[in-house]
Amino acid sequence: MDVFGDLLMGLSIAITPINMLYLLIGAIVGMVVGVIPGFGPSAGLAILLPVTFGMDPTGAIMMLAAIYYGAMYGGTITSILLNTPGESATVASTFDGYPLAKKGRAGPALVMQAVASFVGGTVGVILITILAPMFSQVSRSFGPPEYFLLAMMGMLTLVVMIGTNWKLGLISALIGFALGTVGVDLETGQGRYTFGSAELIGGIYFIPVAIGLFGLGELFYSFYVGMHRSGSGGIVQYDKEASFWPSAEDFLTTRMTMVRGSILGFVVGVIPGAGATIASLMAYSTERSVSKAPEKFGTGEMAGLVAPETANNAASSGAMIPLLTLGIPGSASTAVLLAAFMLWGLRPGPLFMEQNPELAWGLIASMYLGNMILLVISIFAIPLFVQIIKVPYRILGPIVVVICTLGTFSVHASFIETYLMFAAGIIGFFMRLYGFSPAALVLALVLGPLAEEALRQTLTISRGSGMIFLERQASLWIIGVTIVLVIVLPLMSRYGRSSGTAEKAGT
Amino acid sequence: MRIAFLLAVLAGGTYYTYVAFADLNFLTRTGRLGPGFFPRSIGVMIVLLTIWALSDALRQGRGDQADAGRWRDVVMLMALAVCYAVTLRVFGGFLATVIYLAVTLAVLNRGRPVQNALLSVIVPVVIYLLFDRVLNASMPPGLVDILPI
Repeated sequence: MDVFGDLLMGLSIAITPINMLYLLIGAIVGMVVGVIPGFGPSAGLAILLPVTFGMDPTGAIMMLAAIYYGAMYGGTITSILLNTPGESATVASTFDGYPLAKKGRAGPALVMQAVASFVGGTVGVILITILAPMFSQVSRSFGPPEYFLLAMMGMLTLVVMIGTNWKLGLISALIGFALGTVGVDLETGQGRYTFGSAELIGGIYFIPVAIGLFGLGELFYSFYVGMHRSGSGGIVQYDKEASFWPSAEDFLTTRMTMVRGSILGFVVGVIPGAGATIASLMAYSTERSVSKAPEKFGTGEMAGLVAPETANNAASSGAMIPLLTLGIPGSASTAVLLAAFMLWGLRPGPLFMEQNPELAWGLIASMYLGNMILLVISIFAIPLFVQIIKVPYRILGPIVVVICTLGTFSVHASFIETYLMFAAGIIGFFMRLYGFSPAALVLALVLGPLAEEALRQTLTISRGSGMIFLERQASLWIIGVTIVLVIVLPLMSRYGRSSGTAEKAGT
Repeated sequence: MRIAFLLAVLAGGTYYTYVAFADLNFLTRTGRLGPGFFPRSIGVMIVLLTIWALSDALRQGRGDQADAGRWRDVVMLMALAVCYAVTLRVFGGFLATVIYLAVTLAVLNRGRPVQNALLSVIVPVVIYLLFDRVLNASMPPGLVDILPI
């Protein structure tokens, strides 16, 4: 079947009333998660994953994916109205989003961010539709050496992007790898770090760790920085402005910005470890450098808001490519999505789209519909999300603790896993506080067993020789790309961040 | 505190590495990579990197003096969460959640007893209906069954 036929088949699956309902719930929940400062898509996905267990796999995956990309839409509302990014990928949106709101253009800024998010997300899905089958074809020639190298590429790029704290990022990743070795060794049947406990034979379960680190850990950190004490008094009153809708000039002046942001964001999103935050910062600095009036950036320039918005949404779509076609998650959020696939007995990889066409194409088709739903919601339901921003953290906090706890218990009805979640929450808080990376830990926990298995298979094939990595063309390509990324990405990210800092300083 | 946390990571990493060398074989009997290969490599790297990070932290000195107010709130939230975990086992999911929310909101959201009381009942009821009735997922059972749910 051709791509168009596959997509139509996917649409026929996604458009059923029940799946549309799941998609709508996912989009709304994603926006809510994005709106709450301190909670990103990783936390939202981890906390809500157990809720999907009673659902049909296709609907569940569609809903979780909608939470994932929906968070990008929601995160910007607080960037514009409160100068507080809902999550890290919308930091760049504060540079011009908040100045626009202060200038009395909050309404047009909110609408333009929704349109930009829609364009970025939709261009991203179009590129997935075209490129995912091609990536699947290419990755079919990959063997254990390539899978090991891809896993290492994801980890390395994530660690180098951490910046000055790369040592702590690497330690976090190594702790994740270490936790991934707990359980029975599949090759020899020998128990590792089980200490005679039946609960540990199957290994340390991913969900309690992810919920603890991202849910409780982030919540404790938010309390530490005093978010429960700060009110929402600084919200810009957008509903008292003269015009809510953007002008024709806003659309005309930013049309090429949307194209550049979408393509750049998608490409960065495909790279394991890079992610939406880097994409948005890079898009901002690129737009500033091509602008005829770069001095206006940071003072409320519409292109300065549109560029990061298209990029972070396109990046979140791009990150689905390595997930679906290689089974390699490039970020903590896609690691949680991978865990969701695995819970349903699905293993993304080169044959995934061929063996599970209904689910794969249903998911891709649902992303087109999800972006449309999110466009409508993020324009017309702004008052609702403003009300959510106003819910004080001191009320939200205890409720999040309850949802994390009961959600973890519901997975396997296990008190041990619930206590593990609490322990991960406390450790996650200290990791966050002292500059460690919970995201690197979670990604390594998922990639660790895969990397170990691939490495052992590789060295068995090569009879212990590491030269196999230099003898295979595909391996050489991956090594080359990894070296380039490890050198180039931190430089580009630093440039993006410095541009943003310059804008902030200028305002 | 930062140094204490790094020391805890170092202790954990050292123990992990010790077990990898003491109990897990580097190679199998057939000469293939054994169950100890990966843990030994990871363990050694954790120990070395943590020592490096620790020496950096010691050089930087005690730069992380936070005010007591920040710690008081977060430690209280953690302590209440741990108490919730304990009461969960004793009273079960529903009742423990009512108790936890009532106590936590009384501490954090002072001066609003009606709002706190309503939230302490409404939230557990909604979660119970969602988990137990809609999603068919189990709520934690208690050792002391006071309520029939």
